[in-house]
Amino acid sequence: MNGKTILYVEDNEFNLKMVRQLLARTSYRLIEATDGELGVATALKEVPDLILMDIQLPKLSGLDATRRLRADPKTADIPIIVITSFALSGDDQKAKNAGASAYLAKPYSPRELMQMIRKFLPEQ
Amino acid sequence: MHAEPLTPVEDVRSRAWDDRIGRFLLTRSPLGSVVRWVAGIRAPVHAKLLCAFMLIAVLFIAMGGMSLQTIANMNSQSQLLDEAHERVHWSQEIQHALALQMNFTAMALLLRDEATIANILRENNRFNNTLARIEKASQPEERGLIQRIRSAQEEAVTTVADIANLVRDGKLDDAMKLQLSKEYPLYLQIDGLVNQVLHREREKMDRFRASVAAANRKTLILMASFAAALIVLALLLGFVISWSFILPVQEAHGFLSQVAKGKFDTTINVPNRDEFGALANRMNQMSEQLHRLYESQRRGSQELQRLNDQLQQASKAKSDFLANMSHELRTPMNAILGFVEMLLDEIYGEVPPDLREPLTDIQTNGKHLLRLINDVLDLSKIEAGRMELVLAEYSVQDVVETVRSSLQSLALEKGLGFVAAAQDDIPLGYGDGRRITQCLMNLVGNALKFSKRGRVSLWVEQQGDNLVYRVSDTGIGIPKDQVENIFTEFQQLDTTITREFAGTGLGLNITKKFVEMHGGRIWVESELGKGSTFFFSIPLRVNDGGTP
Repeated sequence: MNGKTILYVEDNEFNLKMVRQLLARTSYRLIEATDGELGVATALKEVPDLILMDIQLPKLSGLDATRRLRADPKTADIPIIVITSFALSGDDQKAKNAGASAYLAKPYSPRELMQMIRKFLPEQ
Repeated sequence: MHAEPLTPVEDVRSRAWDDRIGRFLLTRSPLGSVVRWVAGIRAPVHAKLLCAFMLIAVLFIAMGGMSLQTIANMNSQSQLLDEAHERVHWSQEIQHALALQMNFTAMALLLRDEATIANILRENNRFNNTLARIEKASQPEERGLIQRIRSAQEEAVTTVADIANLVRDGKLDDAMKLQLSKEYPLYLQIDGLVNQVLHREREKMDRFRASVAAANRKTLILMASFAAALIVLALLLGFVISWSFILPVQEAHGFLSQVAKGKFDTTINVPNRDEFGALANRMNQMSEQLHRLYESQRRGSQELQRLNDQLQQASKAKSDFLANMSHELRTPMNAILGFVEMLLDEIYGEVPPDLREPLTDIQTNGKHLLRLINDVLDLSKIEAGRMELVLAEYSVQDVVETVRSSLQSLALEKGLGFVAAAQDDIPLGYGDGRRITQCLMNLVGNALKFSKRGRVSLWVEQQGDNLVYRVSDTGIGIPKDQVENIFTEFQQLDTTITREFAGTGLGLNITKKFVEMHGGRIWVESELGKGSTFFFSIPLRVNDGGTP
């Protein structure tokens, strides 16, 4: 497998499972992390080609994790899609300010997610 | 005098000097206690004023009477003076008559004619008549003197008659002798006596004149003092009475200023037992009543504040709870809708035809549930005051296109005509495009839902600085008595909450809130059975600072 690597940082196992199954038929390789700190650690270790970052995470919020990754030269240029929630107003703006390349509102459609992934990371 | 905010400045200035004098007199002289005593008299104000005026009036009348009496006195004295003067005049006349008599007697000796002798008699008569007048007006002690004059005169006349007879008889020498020896000394004697009378009368007149002048002076001094005393009394009475009124009025003024400032526990204290006293009592009653009212109102508002705080806390807790719940609900919704979509997109392989319908039903209801969750969340945020518009430039054409493409399939399913369009030349708008889209989705969604046949249309046009959105349907319409309530919050609707929840209640309410947050307004025209048209009008470019 020489496909591109996508890191999904998300604490809900069903959402993880969904994306796992969504990407199963593609050439993308999925690696997972279930909290913010783990997400940052995995990203620094694996240096994926794209990161999907949920905004509400245990230990470290998705926004803080994004800021940390942007601050590190190893991960500074990796596209990060922040998955926001309508629950808090101005999430979109906060995601952009934190350094997100794009944001996707939850609940997202798997179709939309695939489109966005392909836009940032065309499948070979 | 304390500076009262209610007193006009000019008033204070114009009153300052006399007020200061009044205050000085009240504090530094016994007048203060007199004023309090007058104030304390249990009598109406008009009685006090009447008494004061009556006292002054009576004293003036007394003074008038005295003046009249003085005038009468002076009249009689001047008459007496006239008489004294007359008596002096008479004495002089007697002297004159005596002189002429002597003269004519001497002439008779020379001329020896009857006419001159008759002149002597005429002067003698004049002498006697005037002497009788003086005698009549004379005092008893003068009578002796006058008697002596008369007897001397009678003798002189007798001698004149003798001389006249001697002259007629031609005995001029005898006549001459008699004249020199008897008549002449007699005349001298009479002249001396008459001089005495004249002197006395003159003296009497002078004395009398002096006493009249002294009496006049005395009267003048008396009247002047009386008038001065009267003026002082009038001023004093005026001062005392007016201050017995001014003091309670100033007290009342201060009291009312305090009350106007909101100090309702103030009391007013005046010594008056007249109308001002009654007024002060009433004012005290009023302030007591106001104080009571104020206290009960203050307690009421405290209670209200407490309840309001509780209510706000409860409301915030509710909003927080709803916000959290809505967020928690979203995560499983993401998985449910995501998996269904993936199933229908045949990520997991081909979907048997008989499973496709139930899967689509799950998707439809899942989306509906999501919309409700979104609405509840929006409303709770609006209620908690935490909803903010995300202002940016947006294209009205794009908004209309989004609504059209999202709801076209629903219209097709229901077999309804659906047109969504906007005026061509509308410039870019400034506002929250996503929320405006949400409002239109609500309105058009409702229109499609409540129309069984016919058509639904969305039209946007620019009117001046405003955009007017219009959504018309040919649905069931809204009864007139409910048109007013249609935008109100779901809490205010009756037991149909659950039904409204699934229907228009939340959507319309949220739409109204968003329109108002944009500084616009929403309204509806409807005819039962024929359809409804919803309008909302918002500024083309929302004022950045003006959003609530």
